[in-house]
Amino acid sequence: MTIQQALIEKIRLADRPGANALLDAWATEHGYERLLAEILDPTLILIGEEWRSSETFTLAQVYVAAKVTEDVLNKIVDLRKPSPADQLPKGPVVIGNIEEDFHALGRRMVGTFLRTDGWIVHDLGNDVPAAEFVDKAQAVGARVIGVSAMMMTTARHITRVREEIDRRGLTGRIQLAVGGAVFRICPGLDAEVGGNGTAPDALGAADLFDRLWKQSVRKEAVA
Amino acid sequence: MNSMGRIQATLSGQPLDRRAFAPVLGLYGARLTHCPLEQYYTDPAAYARGQSAVRETFQPDVLCAPLAFASIGAAFGSELVFLDTLPPNLRRPAIQSVEQWDSIVFPDPDIHPQLLYFRDVIRRMAAEHRGEVPIAMVIPIPADIPAVIMGLETWLEIVLFDPAGAQRVMDTIVPFYVRLVNGFFAAGATFVVMPCGFASPAIVTREIVTNFTRPILAKVLAQLRGPVVLHNVGAPLLAHLDLLTGLPAVVGFIVDQRDDLAQARCVAGPDNVLFGGLDCANIGQLTAAEVEDRCRAILEERRQDARFVLGTSGPDVAWNTPPENIHAMRKAAESFGKIDT
Repeated sequence: MTIQQALIEKIRLADRPGANALLDAWATEHGYERLLAEILDPTLILIGEEWRSSETFTLAQVYVAAKVTEDVLNKIVDLRKPSPADQLPKGPVVIGNIEEDFHALGRRMVGTFLRTDGWIVHDLGNDVPAAEFVDKAQAVGARVIGVSAMMMTTARHITRVREEIDRRGLTGRIQLAVGGAVFRICPGLDAEVGGNGTAPDALGAADLFDRLWKQSVRKEAVA
Repeated sequence: MNSMGRIQATLSGQPLDRRAFAPVLGLYGARLTHCPLEQYYTDPAAYARGQSAVRETFQPDVLCAPLAFASIGAAFGSELVFLDTLPPNLRRPAIQSVEQWDSIVFPDPDIHPQLLYFRDVIRRMAAEHRGEVPIAMVIPIPADIPAVIMGLETWLEIVLFDPAGAQRVMDTIVPFYVRLVNGFFAAGATFVVMPCGFASPAIVTREIVTNFTRPILAKVLAQLRGPVVLHNVGAPLLAHLDLLTGLPAVVGFIVDQRDDLAQARCVAGPDNVLFGGLDCANIGQLTAAEVEDRCRAILEERRQDARFVLGTSGPDVAWNTPPENIHAMRKAAESFGKIDT
């Protein structure tokens, strides 16, 4: 059994201490820097793929994966003080739940997985008005705003973020990522509310943000 | 045959004049009566008026008492937020960690206004529709209650990483829950629907259901004075359905739109009622003709199933659902006429 398979098994069993022990043992030999890229990231991709294709993973197990990821990140922070020179962040992004939406768990997991992937995440929390998302994105220079909604009714409020982006002349420059349980039930809803893209789950957020960031750069270059 | 007779006949597998039709239209009553939701979810008379309008407009075979889980959390001190087109939600949970659990003051179901609201709604609805339409009260299973007191993330963390803490929490929840739900039955609830968050395959593992959720549920159900229907909580239930069978007081299951109904029937066994239908979030996205077609397809597939009810999956039918789509569901149910067993 490879270490990735062993890690997936620990996460499947919701065995956080076991997963950490496994990763610590590997890191002792190879270093925590390599752990993220060589073990944790590929494992999270595998878990995401399996979750999407077979729905055999539960929210609890993905939550365990997020906590194990947080544990590893904390250890890396403890072991070394990163300087701007040795860390190349991908860029600032803004996330939050749309106004009237209070289902924080998915958004918080997205934040964890984005940070793991190198993004500087500005998490605005729950119940965020459309203008606040765009204000923050402009203030920090974010090219991607990620908006979460769990219910159909709150998902429709995301159109206000789209309108706010367009009204300020930021169409294309700021890309709108949307996600949440309702987007899994209703295919096409992401486009309907004005999103530039969605991911099926928190584990897919990093890829989505990568794609949308590049899209923003391309559109700005063309403009 | 009236709605009460139709549901009772479905429960006992007796012949029916037509399929029973039981969408969750708790919220929709506010739309029909143009009632602001803060009033609807705090004033029992306003809610009961909404359900009278639901009955008059759609003639469903079950009327629902408020599906407002956050209000239960509010009785423990969680802060509520009232929304324009959704039931109230939690703005801030009462506590943030298991260490604070002992500081929680348990509300008295006989005195606390937030809890008496539910009971008063049921009493009013039962008085108006008694013997004619069953009244269903909807309340999450006991293992879900701490989530409305401390938030889902904190509770999930405790269940996953602090089993002793989780058990300590549930030891105090169980007697409260039994008293609360028996109060609903005493007020006139015909049956209680329990969404099963901490038994859902989308949320927790089979091990958690087996070792944590089910034993608590079994303990509670054995003390209840009325029938219970277990609900999918808006996600497929089939993968864990076997873990929820054979429990005391349970007479049926409301499965998800994505669950295979034939397989669900095999797992649930012949004696339980199976509720199935379109997802609440989707009904409003379809045309009335599409709703009717899809409901007819479901009913056709379950034609031989004497204990099947056309319902909806997920929470309340969404606010923006056109009324003609709900009429279309009823039309489909009515078109499946006399059902012999």
